[in-house]
Amino acid sequence: MFKKSLFFAVALVSMTGVAEARDQIKIVGSSTVYPFSTVVAEQFGKTTSFKTPVVESTGSGGGLKLFCAGIGVKHPDITNASRRIKKKEVERCEKNGITDIVEVKVGYDGIVVANSKKSEMFKLTRKDLFLALAKDIPAGEGKLQPNPHKTWKDVNSSLPAVKIEVLGPPPTSGTRDAFAELALEGGCKKFKWIKAMKKGDKALGIKKDKKAYKRLCHTVREDGAYIEAGENDNMIISKLEANPKALGIFGYSFLDQNADKVQGSTIGGNAPTFENIADGSYPVSRPLYFYVKKAHIGVIPGIEEYMQEFAAEKTSGPDGYLGDKGLISMGDVERARRKEIVMNLGNLKLN
Amino acid sequence: MTEMTFQMPDLPKGLAKRHKAEKRFRLMALASVLLGLIFLAVLFINVLTSGADAIRQSKVRLDINLQINDFGGSKGPDIQQLKNANYQGIIKRTIYKNFPEVKSRRDKRGLYRLVSSGAAYELREFVLDDPSKIGTSISIWLPASDDVDMIMKGKVSRTASSDVRRLSDQQMEWLEKLEAEGNLETKFNWTLFSSGDSREPELAGVAAAMVGSLYSIIVCLIISFPLGVMAALYLESFAPKNRFTSFIEVNINNLAAVPSIVFGLLGLAVFLNFFELPRSAPLVGGMVLSLMTMPTIIIAGRVAIQGVPPSIKEAALAEGASPVQAVFHHVLPLAMPGVLTGTIIGTARALGETAPLLMIGMVAFVVDVPKSILDPATALPVQVYLWSDMPEKGFAERTSAAILVLLAFVGLMNLTAVLLRKKFEIRW
Amino acid sequence: MFEPDQKKVELVPQTRNWRERAIMLTLLGASSVAVLTTVGIVASLIFESIQFFRIVPFTDFVFGLHWSPQMAIREDQVGSSGAFGAIPLLVGTLLISAVALTISAPVGLMSAIYLGEYASPKMRSIIKPTLEVLAGIPTVVYGFFAVVVVAPLLRQGGESIGLSVSSESALAAGFVMGIMTIPFVSSISDDAISAVPASLKEAALGLGSTRSEAIKNVIVPAALPGIAGGILLAASRVIGETMIVVMAAGLTAKLTLNPLDAVTTVTVQIVTLLTGDQEFDSPKTLSAFALGLLLFTITLALNVTAIKIVKAYREQYD
Repeated sequence: MFKKSLFFAVALVSMTGVAEARDQIKIVGSSTVYPFSTVVAEQFGKTTSFKTPVVESTGSGGGLKLFCAGIGVKHPDITNASRRIKKKEVERCEKNGITDIVEVKVGYDGIVVANSKKSEMFKLTRKDLFLALAKDIPAGEGKLQPNPHKTWKDVNSSLPAVKIEVLGPPPTSGTRDAFAELALEGGCKKFKWIKAMKKGDKALGIKKDKKAYKRLCHTVREDGAYIEAGENDNMIISKLEANPKALGIFGYSFLDQNADKVQGSTIGGNAPTFENIADGSYPVSRPLYFYVKKAHIGVIPGIEEYMQEFAAEKTSGPDGYLGDKGLISMGDVERARRKEIVMNLGNLKLN
Repeated sequence: MTEMTFQMPDLPKGLAKRHKAEKRFRLMALASVLLGLIFLAVLFINVLTSGADAIRQSKVRLDINLQINDFGGSKGPDIQQLKNANYQGIIKRTIYKNFPEVKSRRDKRGLYRLVSSGAAYELREFVLDDPSKIGTSISIWLPASDDVDMIMKGKVSRTASSDVRRLSDQQMEWLEKLEAEGNLETKFNWTLFSSGDSREPELAGVAAAMVGSLYSIIVCLIISFPLGVMAALYLESFAPKNRFTSFIEVNINNLAAVPSIVFGLLGLAVFLNFFELPRSAPLVGGMVLSLMTMPTIIIAGRVAIQGVPPSIKEAALAEGASPVQAVFHHVLPLAMPGVLTGTIIGTARALGETAPLLMIGMVAFVVDVPKSILDPATALPVQVYLWSDMPEKGFAERTSAAILVLLAFVGLMNLTAVLLRKKFEIRW
Repeated sequence: MFEPDQKKVELVPQTRNWRERAIMLTLLGASSVAVLTTVGIVASLIFESIQFFRIVPFTDFVFGLHWSPQMAIREDQVGSSGAFGAIPLLVGTLLISAVALTISAPVGLMSAIYLGEYASPKMRSIIKPTLEVLAGIPTVVYGFFAVVVVAPLLRQGGESIGLSVSSESALAAGFVMGIMTIPFVSSISDDAISAVPASLKEAALGLGSTRSEAIKNVIVPAALPGIAGGILLAASRVIGETMIVVMAAGLTAKLTLNPLDAVTTVTVQIVTLLTGDQEFDSPKTLSAFALGLLLFTITLALNVTAIKIVKAYREQYD
């Protein structure tokens, strides 16, 4: 009995030494694209003769790391990202022999600031968000002070006198990146002298200091008012339900699914609705992408077909089934351009 | 009472006090036991009540006319045509026929949304199973969408606003009409046990995760059982009393208490990064779990071997058996029930382990049931973790259902261990 | 040789000796796998940690009061300061562990006393295995339960008496962990108590003390080292517990001792660091291994101490 099982153990270990061919697409990447990617993968697996692709949520950066590690069955074929690939990442890919990448834009995702339906809806502006959540805020022209605000009323007298308590994603997530870039920086720019730092302004006598500008605008306070609640968006919802005073930051799709529990705050007077995000009047939304390794097309079966499924009108068009999951589809022009890329497998170009 | 010494108290008043203290102490002890038991009860009741809802799933009955034209004409369809037929179209056609008053494109779409997007897959399965039904009319129950399911189960109030229901007033009317005609009912949810993960709650099941767990556990057993038993035999029966032996012993005792996540880090650094084994594979999961389980098996094995009276081994030796023969032929068979009990308990723990699997990438979206130990897979506890994060409300009850399945397996294994111990318990 | 089975008893001693030696070596090899595992763990942790300490000074890691590793994950990303001080994580871990042990140590001990001294044998045979079910439930189930039941309850309870309880409070995670480790403490306490010679207890009872007096003044003090060892083992278990805190505790490293606040733990950070964004050679990814090393060292120290205490104590009465 022992010999037999020992034999099995040895056989098992030696088996793994043999490189095996893969007939299943492997996808990694952003947790924001994950819900969309999995729906497409499932649809693809059930309606074609290909196997259902395996999707793993590793975060945008983590996905690109695995993606750029090399060519071969061990490495993923596709990575999802809730931000565009960076130049540094393209270079790393090139270093590992991945020179041809196809970039496919999926659509848009809104980022919402929501609270429990048991409380009053918040009417916020990007400036409010910046003043409530930044680590340092301006104290007069050119001067900074650590964020002193304790309640929303301190930030803006029209807001309720509720303690600032915001549950949001950690910086590992693309959502945080986008939130910092769109909401916080959007509010930060409202201060003229800060905005001037970005490009420099001779009239105001301010030198160009992009780094300081970014540090100021993107740094979130760490004194407990902003609580990093993980990338588990559903948990944020249940925590908001339990704590009606708190606000939470997450993707639009989660708001859409939980409309009975939470409500999205308006930002600059615009409510986070499908229409407002699609036409851009809701200011905090970002594009979603996936990247395909061209060298794997034709080697791993089904990659091209998967791309076509994703880009099809019935999938990510205005009435596509991804819309049910909260994806905001792109405009006609962008969709036409994407169709062309998917058909011709056009290479990624970073400007 | 803490300064109590052993003087004989002679006052009856003191005696009464002491008896009172005795009673208090006893009650406190009982309360402690009850606290644990109550928590256990609340946990089970909570998971059971919430998970029980997932056992049923709302289904819509459709009388579908499978026209020969749908499958490429009268010649008799080939398998490819059967696979690629427009099942969604067939279902749409059938529903629209039931509601002739629905005309506009938008309303039609709203009507179709009452049925799950998985209905077309199920119809496809049905036709592929029995192509002879083509050309006839069939009556088939197909899954309703999760929004309908939530209404049917009373998880969402029918009078809630359409935002909350995720169904428009018009859709509610249709739903109630279907229900009144007896064409919308909740039925036993086979899908939960027969299919893999899905993004639609009504199509999601634990089958793929169960198979993933099974593979991991088999790999874990194949590695840890022989190694664990051999190590236990060696340490208990043969090892010389020297420094190396006691070093091994200290090691094993420590390993048994090392946090599981550290084993995950080991798996990530050694198995994945160094040996470049595939990510998300049950093989690696099983290997990591086996390292965790082995100390448990060794420790249980040693206790079992210790329990065999030395006289048995000595008798064998006296009859001329070699030490190895005495141990393998006489001591080990007698110790086996104990060894197996320890193995099962260790394996049950491995089955419920999540953290190390997160480190080696066994947290993927896996729809297809894995076919080998190298295919990407998840495990049952990981499925629980993944579903607890899903936005759709239908997943809340399915998380509880997955917990129930997990608990059932863990419970079954532990029960087997207890029975095994009872049955083969020998008092020397 | 009266044994009829020729296969079982070799008649040629030399072959037998050779085979025996081979078997012995195999057995020795199997035992060494445990050592190999430890070596593997230590080597992989240290190897990655050394790379980490090349970037972040060791003292900054061990004595730093500020943990915020997330920020510098990309060159162009500006977040907050990006600091790798493990103290807030340790404090968070200890806070949650303290909550857990305040529950499991007394409750576990008292349960053991009840089952050992008061319960009828029949009751004991039912209650003991039932309580042990608590230890067999997978931790992911506890995590889920903590999030959907315990945390909201604590929050509402706190609110009704005017306390603000964070929805990711150390209390919720700690409470659930405490319940989980009850059988752990109680079974080791049980062993320790039943190892106390009956003569001691009988002498106390014979001198006229009540049962509780005998327990409090004689049995428990005599069994104390064993009980302490058990609690230490429970502590090591709680410190290394992952899923419950991943699901129920927070991510913000906050230096606080208030159990109503949200804190984060070493294990939570390891999981977050390794399942989120990963960067080549970034201190962020490497820091997970440094945290792993820290965790391994702490639990190792606890385990060794506990095992020593329990062993020394056992010998005392053997």
